[in-house]
Amino acid sequence: MSEAGPPRLEVRDIEKSFPGVRALSGVSYDVHAGEVHALMGENGAGKSTLIKIMSGVVQPDKGAILIDGLESRLAGPDDARRAGIATIYQELLLFPELTVAENIFLGHAPKGRFGRIDLSAMRERARALIASLDIDELDADETVGRLSVGNRQRVEILRALSHDARVLIMDEPTAALTETDVRRLFDIVRRLRARGVGVVYISHRMDEIFEISDRVTVLRDGAFIGTRQTRETNSGELVEMMVGRRIEALFPKVEAPLGEAVLEARDLVAKPMTRGVSVTVRAGEIVGLAGLVGSGRSELAQTLFGVTPAESGEIRLNGELVSIRSPAEGRALGVAYVPEDRGTQGLVRAMSVKHNFSLAGLNRLTWLGFIDRAAELKLARDAVKQFDVKTSSLDEAAGRLSGGNQQKIVLGKWLANKPRLLILDEPTRGIDVGAKAEIHRLMGVLVREGVAILMISSELPEVLGMSDRVLVMREGRIVAELPRAEATPSAVGAAMMGDLSGRGQAA
Amino acid sequence: MSAAASPVQILRRIASQEAMLAVAIIGLAIVVGFVNPRFLSANNLSDLLLGNAYIAVAAIGMSMVIVSGNIDISVGALIGVLATVSGSLAVAGYPIAFAWGAPLVIGIAVMAAQGAVVAYLGIPSIVVTLGMWSILKGGLISVTGGRWITDLPNSFHLADVEVFGVLPMPVLIMVGATILAAIWMRFWPGGRAIYAAGGNPEAARLCGVSPRRTTIFVFAAHGFFAGIAALMFATQLRVIQSTTPAGLELVVITASVVGGVSILGGVGTVIGSTLAAVLLAEIASALVFINVSPYWTHAVQGSLILATVIADILRRRRRLGAA
Amino acid sequence: MNRYLKRHETILAAILIVALIGLGYLNDQFLTLDNLLNQGRLMTEIGLIALPMTFVIVTGGIDLSVGAIVGLCAIVLGVAWKNWGLPLPLAVVVALGVGALAGFCNGLVITRLKAPPLIVTIATLALYRGLAEGISKARSVRGYPDWFYVLGQGEVFGVPTQLWILGACIVIAGVALDRTSFGRTLYAIGANETAARFSALAVDRAKLIVYTLSGLMSGLSAFVLVSRVTTTRSDMGLGYELDVIAAVVLGGASIFGGAGTVWGTVIGLVMIQLLKNGLALTGVKGDATIIVIGVVLIASVLIASSLERRRE
Repeated sequence: MSEAGPPRLEVRDIEKSFPGVRALSGVSYDVHAGEVHALMGENGAGKSTLIKIMSGVVQPDKGAILIDGLESRLAGPDDARRAGIATIYQELLLFPELTVAENIFLGHAPKGRFGRIDLSAMRERARALIASLDIDELDADETVGRLSVGNRQRVEILRALSHDARVLIMDEPTAALTETDVRRLFDIVRRLRARGVGVVYISHRMDEIFEISDRVTVLRDGAFIGTRQTRETNSGELVEMMVGRRIEALFPKVEAPLGEAVLEARDLVAKPMTRGVSVTVRAGEIVGLAGLVGSGRSELAQTLFGVTPAESGEIRLNGELVSIRSPAEGRALGVAYVPEDRGTQGLVRAMSVKHNFSLAGLNRLTWLGFIDRAAELKLARDAVKQFDVKTSSLDEAAGRLSGGNQQKIVLGKWLANKPRLLILDEPTRGIDVGAKAEIHRLMGVLVREGVAILMISSELPEVLGMSDRVLVMREGRIVAELPRAEATPSAVGAAMMGDLSGRGQAA
Repeated sequence: MSAAASPVQILRRIASQEAMLAVAIIGLAIVVGFVNPRFLSANNLSDLLLGNAYIAVAAIGMSMVIVSGNIDISVGALIGVLATVSGSLAVAGYPIAFAWGAPLVIGIAVMAAQGAVVAYLGIPSIVVTLGMWSILKGGLISVTGGRWITDLPNSFHLADVEVFGVLPMPVLIMVGATILAAIWMRFWPGGRAIYAAGGNPEAARLCGVSPRRTTIFVFAAHGFFAGIAALMFATQLRVIQSTTPAGLELVVITASVVGGVSILGGVGTVIGSTLAAVLLAEIASALVFINVSPYWTHAVQGSLILATVIADILRRRRRLGAA
Repeated sequence: MNRYLKRHETILAAILIVALIGLGYLNDQFLTLDNLLNQGRLMTEIGLIALPMTFVIVTGGIDLSVGAIVGLCAIVLGVAWKNWGLPLPLAVVVALGVGALAGFCNGLVITRLKAPPLIVTIATLALYRGLAEGISKARSVRGYPDWFYVLGQGEVFGVPTQLWILGACIVIAGVALDRTSFGRTLYAIGANETAARFSALAVDRAKLIVYTLSGLMSGLSAFVLVSRVTTTRSDMGLGYELDVIAAVVLGGASIFGGAGTVWGTVIGLVMIQLLKNGLALTGVKGDATIIVIGVVLIASVLIASSLERRRE
């Protein structure tokens, strides 16, 4: 039960903007000692920015941070640590070659004479910490690199405790865990709560929220939507808060004649994230692929494109059985993949706009190995006009353009190849409304030309607004297929979160 | 959950790089001694150790540098320069303590400067140390004009000293320095910080370890050990040549890497590098005694370092993939 | 990026001209045709290797084993001819083959094991140098037939033979890097290897090619060197990697990859050679000139990185 008194950690009316993006506007949140307060929201809702502010990595533009009721400033991660706030990120920050005990106590190990580290005291304290959370199989002398993901996460939690953390922020802690590890994690969280630690629990997974949290707050588009006592709400209400009811005319659905099946994939397996997936996409069709972060959607796309070839299963393109073992093979077969992370996967930021446009199609622009510069220039000029890319010149470094224009370049470079199957991975993430609309309009043009589109998106309105069919993925498998008419926010949301047991109903 | 190490951990300790090196040293000695018993003569073994102890000392600093995630290829040239400085000071009549102390100070200064450039200007250590190598090498030639240093005063020869009439100084220094450095790296926060900064700089920062300060410190320590190595090298000779010992930095790096220091950073001990230095010297000598042309020495050393590097990379990839 | 580089190259060319004039003023032997052509002859060995090294550095890699490969190929050339009795032309081909193979092995380990090029080439540096020493056993090979020396010591239309070859290689390399899809692939790899892979570029094959070329040109350089100095020794090529990398970095290539041109490397190469020559003519001993190379290397990286910082 949470204690009375001021919250351990509170943030009020936080505003934070980055160039071109309003990450948080007027968000308030708090966590008391001895409570688990969940934080929910879609990708881009502002959760990670809020975490960074609470852990001192980023400073808010406006708003207050209060620790135990006193207004404070967190100028950096060290301040947060001293204030007793510890964060456990998804990518664990551990030293794989050092032992568990060393990882826990690095930087603040118990010292003996002459400043020498007291190794036995350190190992004793590590064992005590391990025992306090009733963890059986963690050995203080084991090398962290040899531990499973679940155990490594436990080491991170122990490290936080070794700093006397009174607020523990956990970012999607169960994303990479097995069922058993998740159970164990909950045990630990309950113990921490009993000890008076306040836990900020970020997750998408409805069943977890209802099992472990006392309160839940929902963010959407950087704004605070509401806070509920967990036992007084249900999953339907939460989904509605996360997604909102607006499926606006932002996505004018274009009707296109559906043709033959362009892609027929059966039982694709590619460890560890693709566990037997079958997908069909017809010419002129937009199939939306929804799912939580970590459900395996990008991995599926990369398997279809050839980055991580399938280990078993078959792929047919226009009826023909094919094998796609590399992106070059994928491209040759008419598959195009616009990646999720345009900065690191989609564009070469240091290269010019012109060179980026030709990068995926160089093989068609060369004669005896020489690049036809005139053709390349024409390609770039036409593309800039067709996609309305705003750039001061074709020689401008692509990295200097806005997010929306960068995305158009990535799209354009693949469309230059006239693909028959276009796989889009979060095509409108992080770009402004105007560019979003243009990309959606473009998709409409493409399907009318007979292109088959597989669209991965974490933005429910986009998925629901654009798709002819919606597939939902969870943990490497397709768990639901909904034709347009039946794809409602609650239906899709429920399938995504796996709340099939009705557990999230009000008591 | 026991206080003692589990059987698996004991097994791993037995199979550790350091243990395998010790076994290799003894095993090789036995095999070669069998083929040619003169290999095991006291004279030969002591020459072997005395003549190469300085490489082990230089490898102590090099190991620290590599563990921290950097590299240095200027140490061979630096040792040559420091040896000449030391000898010149002795010949010029300065007090012997000064002639012995100057290389240490200069070594620290030169290396720390490189460390600062790497840490604060973000220049890759390979480039900085490559440039410094040529500056030192060329500098030595132009300053000495190719002259060798002769007429060294008798008191200069530190390496000839035998402590308690029995223990030769070079061996004492090698063993002593190794043990002290190993203890420091194992038990002192500063030493652990090197492993942290080399293993995961991001995480290190979060733990309060500054990778930049660690880099400068590690290079400074490397300069110190290079100075000691230069002393050991210089004080053994009757003349000090005007050239830097060819390929010295490569042997030192080989000793560190074969000793278990991973070039990817964060792993390795100075005990390993000292054992490896002894093994490398033993191999060089062994080749002579089994009638293999000593010209193959570097080829053997080269294959050793390549094999170790490949094995290390495979091991790391496997571990990253498994987890 | 290209505009910045062109500016870098023009500045470099301007400095070069100033240096030429200055050195010519200080020393009347300097600006003679004889001397300049001779310098051209001397810089060929480094120049040939600097071309593929530009490719390697553009991809964000590095190859420290080039000097050792030169030594190894020189030895193989001599041994194949003298000891194995192969006809000399065939021995040359074998030597070039060994160089390409050595480079190929570098590339194989780097691409298959995804190992850092720095580490791999330091290790192969040790191995290849060791092999050279072992095979040669410090004997040198002499007594090549007269026609063999045409490459290293002869002239065609008054210009040293090897300079023609260097010139041809420069043109081929420059055009390849600038205008072919292969060259574009190299820039993409250096700037963002992940995006290059996602753009369906043949990343591993390109890397394998550049390291193999590096080895092959080291072999060619060995051939020219042996022909010029009329002998084969196992310590040939010692320290070449310094000169080569200095030329490439001075020429504007970023050590982190993604930028650099062959033309810049050539200017860097010429500047370094002239610097060495100028120093030698004013009485500085040969060995000491490497100080200057080291200073040039560090200085150009420092300047490049502070300019980089200023641009951001």
